Amino acid sequence: MTEPLFETTFLRKLDRLILMTRRAMAGEMQGERRSPRRGASVEFADFRPYTPGDDIRQIDWNLYARMERFFLKLFVAEEELTIHLLIDVSSSMDWGEPNKLRHALKLAGAFGYIALSSLDRVTVTALGAEGAQRQLPGVRGKRGALPLFAFLQQIRPETAVDLSTACHRYMRTARTPGPLLLCSDLLDAGWEDALRALSSRPFEITLLHILAPQELDPQFDGDFRLVDAEGGTAVEISADLDALRRYRENLTSWQAEIESFCSGRGINYFFVDTAISVEDFVLSRMRQRGVLR
Amino acid sequence: MSFLAPLAMLAAAVIGPIIVAMYLLKLRREDRTVSSTFLWRRMVRDVEANAPWQKLRRNLLLLLQLLLLLLLVLALARPFVRTTGIAGRNLIMIIDRSASMQAADVGQNRLEAAKAQAINLVDQLPDGGRATVIAMGGQMEVLAAATSDRRELRDAISGIELRNGGGSDLSQALTLASALSAREEQSEAAIISDGNVMIPDDVKVPATVRYFPIGRSDANVAIGAIALQPSAGGQTLFVQTTNHGSASTSVRVDLYLDGVLFDARNLDLPPGGDSSIVTEVPSQVRVAEARVSEADALEADNRAWAVSTLDDTTNVRVIGAGNRFLETGLSLLPGVRYTTVPTSTAIFTETVAEVPVTILDGVVPTTLPAGNLFFIAPPRSTNFFSVTGEIEFPSVRPVSGDEPLLRHISLSEVNVLRAARIAPGAWARVIVDSEGAPLLLAGEREGRRIVVLAFDLHESDLPLHVAFPLLLSNIVNYLAPGSGVEASQIAPGQSLAIQVDETITEVRLTQPDGNIMRSTDGAIQIQNNQAVYADTDMLGVYVVEEFRGDELVARRRYVVNFPNAESVIAPQPDLNILQASGLQSAISQERVGRTEFWRWLAALALIVLIVEWLFYQRNGLAYLRERWRSRTRDKGALRAR
Repeated sequence: MTEPLFETTFLRKLDRLILMTRRAMAGEMQGERRSPRRGASVEFADFRPYTPGDDIRQIDWNLYARMERFFLKLFVAEEELTIHLLIDVSSSMDWGEPNKLRHALKLAGAFGYIALSSLDRVTVTALGAEGAQRQLPGVRGKRGALPLFAFLQQIRPETAVDLSTACHRYMRTARTPGPLLLCSDLLDAGWEDALRALSSRPFEITLLHILAPQELDPQFDGDFRLVDAEGGTAVEISADLDALRRYRENLTSWQAEIESFCSGRGINYFFVDTAISVEDFVLSRMRQRGVLR
Repeated sequence: MSFLAPLAMLAAAVIGPIIVAMYLLKLRREDRTVSSTFLWRRMVRDVEANAPWQKLRRNLLLLLQLLLLLLLVLALARPFVRTTGIAGRNLIMIIDRSASMQAADVGQNRLEAAKAQAINLVDQLPDGGRATVIAMGGQMEVLAAATSDRRELRDAISGIELRNGGGSDLSQALTLASALSAREEQSEAAIISDGNVMIPDDVKVPATVRYFPIGRSDANVAIGAIALQPSAGGQTLFVQTTNHGSASTSVRVDLYLDGVLFDARNLDLPPGGDSSIVTEVPSQVRVAEARVSEADALEADNRAWAVSTLDDTTNVRVIGAGNRFLETGLSLLPGVRYTTVPTSTAIFTETVAEVPVTILDGVVPTTLPAGNLFFIAPPRSTNFFSVTGEIEFPSVRPVSGDEPLLRHISLSEVNVLRAARIAPGAWARVIVDSEGAPLLLAGEREGRRIVVLAFDLHESDLPLHVAFPLLLSNIVNYLAPGSGVEASQIAPGQSLAIQVDETITEVRLTQPDGNIMRSTDGAIQIQNNQAVYADTDMLGVYVVEEFRGDELVARRRYVVNFPNAESVIAPQPDLNILQASGLQSAISQERVGRTEFWRWLAALALIVLIVEWLFYQRNGLAYLRERWRSRTRDKGALRAR
């Protein structure tokens, strides 16, 4: 995949965006994000009685003068955030026109670039089969953009991916919770389980539910045997208008089901039609919903 | 239901499995890779849980094709149902068009119903079958002869019109039908009639005869007889009203004299009963009419006319040795004046117009007088017949049938001692027969009417019977037509013959509807001193006027009344006709007619084919419908803007 993920003009637009979090999250290194911890910054947080062993530089002498007791003056720590980008690379994603996987990679790239430009840490994981899971362990700062893009470019679809086990595995191995972006088509019987696994830890999850226009409005006429790209059961259908209408109804109800599941667990749900360009989606839809600013 | 070609069913056994096999082969579906069948599986699960018949729906095309095959094979097998109708391939249809068929108790009238039945029979005719259409009633007519052209048959049938006159004698038509059916296998004769016909007992039809009765009601009141006769104080009008129905009824009879209402009587008539009105009317009345005011099934016989015969006298010349019986009989006849001439007279100077009838009682002069002749016991041969001897005690056997000379007469009691053995010429018809030689002959020869009675009145007890004056009256009426009460009434269709002189230049006839026929433009033929007019099927009063130059010489009136026999309209349930099979009955009990309906099956198959095609193209059609709908919606939106 030699084609670059983004044009520079788009990246410049992304520079101005910033990733929003709903609550303060702890990080590992000094950064630009409010952390729940107390640390060194200019923003006052609290007072605390001195206990032996505390850094005497933090004693508020003015307070001592009034009260004749030692208090420590605490400040809000500013730390980095770790952004988790999860990409479903099952072969069902490598389908559709425009291709869903490529769309997912672009979205992940844009999201990651925004995070990097605000000095956050980004880890990218392709949710593949067990043992074949590839991960970009964590890049930080704008320097990390090139390795991020390079990593995304070399992701290939894999067969036989079980979304829910992959998510469970990720939850066991992830170190620092933070904003998490899941790009998947959720065309998997275990989608509920997967989302439940992700919401078991305090990640701030954004779900990009990616579907191709061919899935949203299939154009079939006649009798077909539908073969699953992931090797699932084949289905025989007689596609007529009625069947297609029922398919669409079914799809809508499924989407609604996912959406209500997500809203019940504080997951940001985005439905992504690959026919809509990544630029439009990131610059307008995600800003409208307050994920980016 | 049965089949004409059941072997065609085998086609189903062959083609049916082929269709199923091809359908199974076709069912191998095209593979299409999708990202995931996850959603499709969900959908199919929903559908199958919701509607079990969805599985069937997948096979709807197969079912439709099998149905199509079934229908086509059924059509090929040519199924039929048995109906009351005909079975033969050579159909001879005899359709009654006699006067009683104008009864309006079924549909428009019985004739129309008979025509509809006939056309129905034509439709039942098997392919290649032929039919002959014979119209019976009046002069028999063959309207279509052994043709398989159904259009021609239908045209012939719908062209049949009513005949008031001529009676309804089936014998001629049946004889023809016998001759036609004898020539061909699978012949069948169909008689479509109300059954009030005369059936010959000597015709044996070598085919099946089926009778299709027409008509429901027998309710009919008719003016059975009407007469206007001279009497002492003027004229006597006699009207007899008969109820031919099976229910008693009461009617009002209106009497019109010269078109003006004169009297009205209410009559109660029991079933089959009659009631007479006798009333004196002024002597100057020329035409009397009686009308039954209540409507019934047959309207035509509710009116009858009579004309006055007060001024008519007929001169009769009697040549003979004197015969009291004859003279008394003649003197009793109204309107007849007779002169007796001695037997020695050899030269007759009077013209035919002056003395139209001569009675030769036991003599044959060397020169026969002009005019019509009545020979009584001729002693020797003449130009018209030969006398070959004598017969002793001949039996008296009147011929059967509707013989005008024997009307109202019974000769069964008459005995004859001796009669001349007469060998009649070809012109004569025998009226009373005996062994070997006729006793009474009548006929026309060289423009004159001749009646021969073979025995002397003194050698028989005939003059002592009631029959004698009646017979004499009938004979005089026959010989002097156009005079007397009887002569003024003619049957419908009977030709009107009027004796005219050479001096008459024009004869004019006014029909009941006002049309005037003239001899000068050929509508009335004048031949041998006779003016003949044949088109008398219309009921009513006919006026004949004779002109000499511009001068009106004579005016006579004739009436045509509805034939009495046809007033009986009760439909007969059966006709007894001797058939080849030995059957006497002609009513169609068994259902032998075949009505094929493969055309309907084929049409149904076409509909199934269209349905199948529509079903196959359903998506395209639905797409078109969607587009059309959205386009009209867009237009509507544009207009709203």
